[in-house]
Amino acid sequence: MLFPLVWVSCKDDFPIDEDGLLITKRAQCYVSNFELLGSDLQTVRSKNPVIDTVACTIDVEVFFGTDLRNVYPQFSLVTDAKLDPKITGKMDFSNLDEPKVFTVVSGNRQVRKPYTVRVSVQQ
Amino acid sequence: MQRKHLIRLSYLLSLLLLMGACKEEEYAIPTLSSDFQNTAIKRNLGPNLIGKNMEFAYAMALPQVKGKILSAQVEASIPGAPGTYLDNQSYHTNLSRVDVGVIVGEPSVTEGNKSRVAFTADTCAATLRYYYVVPEAARGQKVTFTFSAISSTGENVSYSMGPYDVSRMDMVLDLNVKDGENSYISIADMAVYDETAAAANPGNIDLVYLYREMPSVTFAHSLVSPAADPQYLPSVALPAGVNKSTRLRKAWGLRDQQLARLQFGIFIDDLDFQQLDLSDAPNYGINMKAESGAWVETADGKYRAYIFVNAVDNTNKSARISIKRYAL
Repeated sequence: MLFPLVWVSCKDDFPIDEDGLLITKRAQCYVSNFELLGSDLQTVRSKNPVIDTVACTIDVEVFFGTDLRNVYPQFSLVTDAKLDPKITGKMDFSNLDEPKVFTVVSGNRQVRKPYTVRVSVQQ
Repeated sequence: MQRKHLIRLSYLLSLLLLMGACKEEEYAIPTLSSDFQNTAIKRNLGPNLIGKNMEFAYAMALPQVKGKILSAQVEASIPGAPGTYLDNQSYHTNLSRVDVGVIVGEPSVTEGNKSRVAFTADTCAATLRYYYVVPEAARGQKVTFTFSAISSTGENVSYSMGPYDVSRMDMVLDLNVKDGENSYISIADMAVYDETAAAANPGNIDLVYLYREMPSVTFAHSLVSPAADPQYLPSVALPAGVNKSTRLRKAWGLRDQQLARLQFGIFIDDLDFQQLDLSDAPNYGINMKAESGAWVETADGKYRAYIFVNAVDNTNKSARISIKRYAL
């Protein structure tokens, strides 16, 4: 029974990138949703984020008193896309005058779009 | 042709594997031991806190034809606080899942580190409960227990339990805080004060509780350090000397069983406080919700604590909180 399994070998013709992720033929490159979680892993957004996929901006308003030095951003991307830089843990968004920029890279790794995350605090 | 043979060979090997099955041994009813036997279990979970009970069930039995139980005893390595006793009732659970106690002996006599029950009932089996009130002397120590029993045949059995770590934490339950009244929280004293008491003891005030309803801002129930930015203390006039900056980090879903007394089997233990890092935490927590909590470290670095919000009342601008505290 083992022999048939051995005979079925994998053909290695799918390219992968430097992160070991599959490079596909998709050229779409956009953010579909954005979330910002506080240190208690609950959302700190006071309303839905406004994502402009043409201007490549994300506007998000957070609750009054949010500890912006310790928040966890979450991006939802189009299929096969990835984010640069990677999000590995909590981040500091407290400097509202200098919005952070995250680049979305398409599935074919040919298209790169820098998204600016602009945070404002509920007043 | 060769491939056909290989497939046949693999089928043959699979068949051989299937034939080599294990033979199931027949079940035999265990033979009853004629010895006097005993066993014990610990009935409570979570950290063992000073002043709280550690609860055990101690079971002992011997064949009815051999004799009866004369006495049972528990010896703790550290004498229990007042209230420690070995129950003189033997418990069983009835069909309605209710524990039913039957008196089998004289009330427990506790002397030093020993609690003893002398049996009065003619019984060959019993399960007694032991309640050990953790004494201050055991803080941060390990405690062990030796359960023992004597039968009318002269046999003596014993069963050791532990060692169990005793927590260094303190706990206080159900402090009522109210905006503008009992709104000053002291971690050092594990208490809540009004403005007059806070003014008399300003050095011990770590947090201020307040409730605000604002048209465009979600503020609600909040815990704020006296030294926080004034925007987080709207319309609050602090008594002179109340000026500490207490670090605080909100937590959600951390419903410690001992603080919340809910169905969740989550326990905050000494280790959580030892590993807690609030170095980059803010000194305020806005919009605290019921069943949420906050990790806290006092400005002088003496205490770390977890404040659990048991309930909130928007109408009365009040909340009920419980605290676990760890001295560093």
